[in-house]
Amino acid sequence: MSEQLEKNNSVMYLKSEFKPTVYSTLIDEVDLGILLELGSIGAGHAATALSQVLQQQVTINIPRIHTIPPHELPKHYEKHEEPTTAVYMQIANNDCDILLAFDAVEAKKIAAIMTMAPSVEELDPAMEESAIQELGNILIGSFLTAISDFTGIQLIPTTPQRVIDTFDSIIDNFVVKQAITSDNALIFDTQFKRSNEDAKSILILFPSPQLQKQLVQKSKEQMIN
Amino acid sequence: MLTAPIWLHQKTGSIIDRSHIGVKVGAITKLQTITTTTIETTTKTRFEEIRVNMAEMKAEKNPVKLVTSVGSCVAICLYDSANMCGGLAHIMLPKSAIAPHESLPGKFADTAVPSLANEVRKLCRKESRLSAKIAGGANMFPNMNALNIGAKNVEAVKEALAQHKIRLIAEDVGGSHGRRISFEVETGNVTVKVFNGETIEL
Repeated sequence: MSEQLEKNNSVMYLKSEFKPTVYSTLIDEVDLGILLELGSIGAGHAATALSQVLQQQVTINIPRIHTIPPHELPKHYEKHEEPTTAVYMQIANNDCDILLAFDAVEAKKIAAIMTMAPSVEELDPAMEESAIQELGNILIGSFLTAISDFTGIQLIPTTPQRVIDTFDSIIDNFVVKQAITSDNALIFDTQFKRSNEDAKSILILFPSPQLQKQLVQKSKEQMIN
Repeated sequence: MLTAPIWLHQKTGSIIDRSHIGVKVGAITKLQTITTTTIETTTKTRFEEIRVNMAEMKAEKNPVKLVTSVGSCVAICLYDSANMCGGLAHIMLPKSAIAPHESLPGKFADTAVPSLANEVRKLCRKESRLSAKIAGGANMFPNMNALNIGAKNVEAVKEALAQHKIRLIAEDVGGSHGRRISFEVETGNVTVKVFNGETIEL
């Protein structure tokens, strides 16, 4: 299996004559369970951080792991043309893409709370961008720190980047990157909701097969000790 | 009374059978008594929107709008003006050679162009030449990867179109924003809508 994973990582540089039939990143149910548990730990910390920043109650749904062909992901969310504010980060050595997507209106509301703007209308766009990027830093930072503490793997995120666009065109970029390597991507997602709002914020992670393997291995070591 | 929208051909006025996509036409008993009101509703429902998902291809001969949203992907619209039909493909990657696995033809530029052209030609009643309009290939996250898949996609699509002798008549590519593409199959008009920005007619 490890051999297969290594092949999977170097796929981009392979020539066309190399055509294995089935590609799956992680087949083991136990491994999936471990990754889901790690994600849940991270999501819990991220939700706590969000709650502390906004001084509000925040609920999270049960985190999920999808092992689906990457191009089916937009269908899964059914958000097509919804205006979305997204923060994109990446773990330093290109191991994992992280996307934090808010409904555009919800993002404005959150930024208004963070910058103590009197109303959403009076919110300065530059301040909004800065606030949302900072929120991405805080949330994703606490997510990764929790996983780092548990596994002992150093996970350093890059600087956040914000975009406002439709949901489908944002997710498009990530799906394309996943689709290069395989037809079966492993995608982790969890959703946050402020207690008195309907809009859900989505946190999506696209861990590379390399990182998945590393996380599972380290977690197993932790459990034995 | 009508229970389902009727689809009339714009020029001939004949009823288009849409039973294959689940629209029942059988509910009409007296064709002669179609009033002006029914024709109004017909024009409204004529531009039904059909979504084309990632890595999918759709060819249509009925007057509908094929709709898709792209970022770094490219939407290829092939149009046959003589037969008033066309198709849309939402491709994700430039070459089928870079992915080592068997996959959908609609995923790659070099496989999507010939198979979409085939699909469209199947719908045609008479021989004619296809024309193409493309949109997409943006680079929304500059620090995401040095690969710049968007530009490579556009390049590969143009190459594939040239190879299959399909004329490229309009394009809206590059930039750092997503696009919503709506392709009117009957007229061949492509509307590109940039989020919070201008609408471009191709």
